[in-house]
Amino acid sequence: MVDWSLAIKIFVFGLSAVFISLGILIAAIYGFGTVLGKKKKQNN
Amino acid sequence: MLEMVLTTGIVHLTVGNIVMWLIAFSFIYLAINKNYEPLLLVPIGFGILIVNLPLTCLMKEGEGLIWIFYHYGLEWEVIPPLIFLGLGALTDFGPMIANPKTLILGAGAQFGVYVAFFGALILGFKIPEACSIGIIGGADGPTTIYTTVHLAPHLLGATAVAAYSYMSLVPIIQPPIMRLLTTKKERKIKMKQLRHVSKKEKILFPLLTVMVICLIVPASAPLMAMFMLGNLFKECGVVKRLSDAAANELMNIVTILLGVSVGATMQAEHFLKPRVIFIFLMGLVAFAFSTAAGIALAKFMNLFSKEKINPLIGSAGVSAVPMAARVSQLEGAKADPTNYLLMHAMGPNVAGTIGTVVAAGVFLALAG
Repeated sequence: MVDWSLAIKIFVFGLSAVFISLGILIAAIYGFGTVLGKKKKQNN
Repeated sequence: MLEMVLTTGIVHLTVGNIVMWLIAFSFIYLAINKNYEPLLLVPIGFGILIVNLPLTCLMKEGEGLIWIFYHYGLEWEVIPPLIFLGLGALTDFGPMIANPKTLILGAGAQFGVYVAFFGALILGFKIPEACSIGIIGGADGPTTIYTTVHLAPHLLGATAVAAYSYMSLVPIIQPPIMRLLTTKKERKIKMKQLRHVSKKEKILFPLLTVMVICLIVPASAPLMAMFMLGNLFKECGVVKRLSDAAANELMNIVTILLGVSVGATMQAEHFLKPRVIFIFLMGLVAFAFSTAAGIALAKFMNLFSKEKINPLIGSAGVSAVPMAARVSQLEGAKADPTNYLLMHAMGPNVAGTIGTVVAAGVFLALAG
């Protein structure tokens, strides 16, 4: 007998974790890119 | 005389053994003649062959030579993380850092993993088995092996071979789906040239990624940590020897041990069961849905984005680095020979690898 509530939990948690973690990475890459870009301009 | 004959393997041969020999020979043939994932199919094929020679006891628990490789390499979780170390040392995250929104495509392409997961449950597999089958859709061999060894070790041969088979069949499986889901006008979309990514950004990326992913999904740490360590070796530029060792010598050694060990799990009495057909079927479903979901997500993003994305790069989110990105390039070039999508497709391609590791981490945390 399949535990469907666990299966749904795995699906929701899994897909959310994938999108959230990659979403945070996108924000971090943009953030660091902006900071590094500004620093480069200041140095120039 | 009779006693002597009984000590030979010949009298202990079964029809199952002979069927497995044929499978082994077909793998070796495909690897040598068709160049399908030869680095893996040759050792896997050979592993299948030798383990189906009766009385060799190569997989006998506690004694067999290949059992020792399998036990200490796979069951002790050593080999897949070491493969990831090598992959990290070979991966250039530059195209992804240059266009971070392509990371979303790598996430979208994990959708097929869950389609196959539910498909396997409906077919009667238990939850840990369904997780191992679903992860085939990520098209990432080491992650599939790592997940299966944890959750359903009895399915290892089938899931690993399905994952590597579909990875090698990317140029056959993906193009019809890509053409079906896109118009010629969409396939002709030209994307802006990627910006230059500085060395600092490339060094920061593995540090940042390992922190973010391991904080959100700690169970993915063994694979993610090794992946990012390998990439840090490559990008920092001060440990060339370590980077070279991880990408070449170490990678080659663990690939041999991995291939032979996986092949050796395919003994006739364990492998020749109707369930294996379902595993291969579900793997194909996972792969097809992952491809379709990546393309659909790229099209969805185009509804809101000023700079249009060529939806063909969405299919590269299934990992299978760099084969899936090459397929995007080829399909794009068929629509417009002056269109170069390869570097754009590398973004979702490597993002797909990260996404699959995260999905596997959740499987391990909740179903393990």
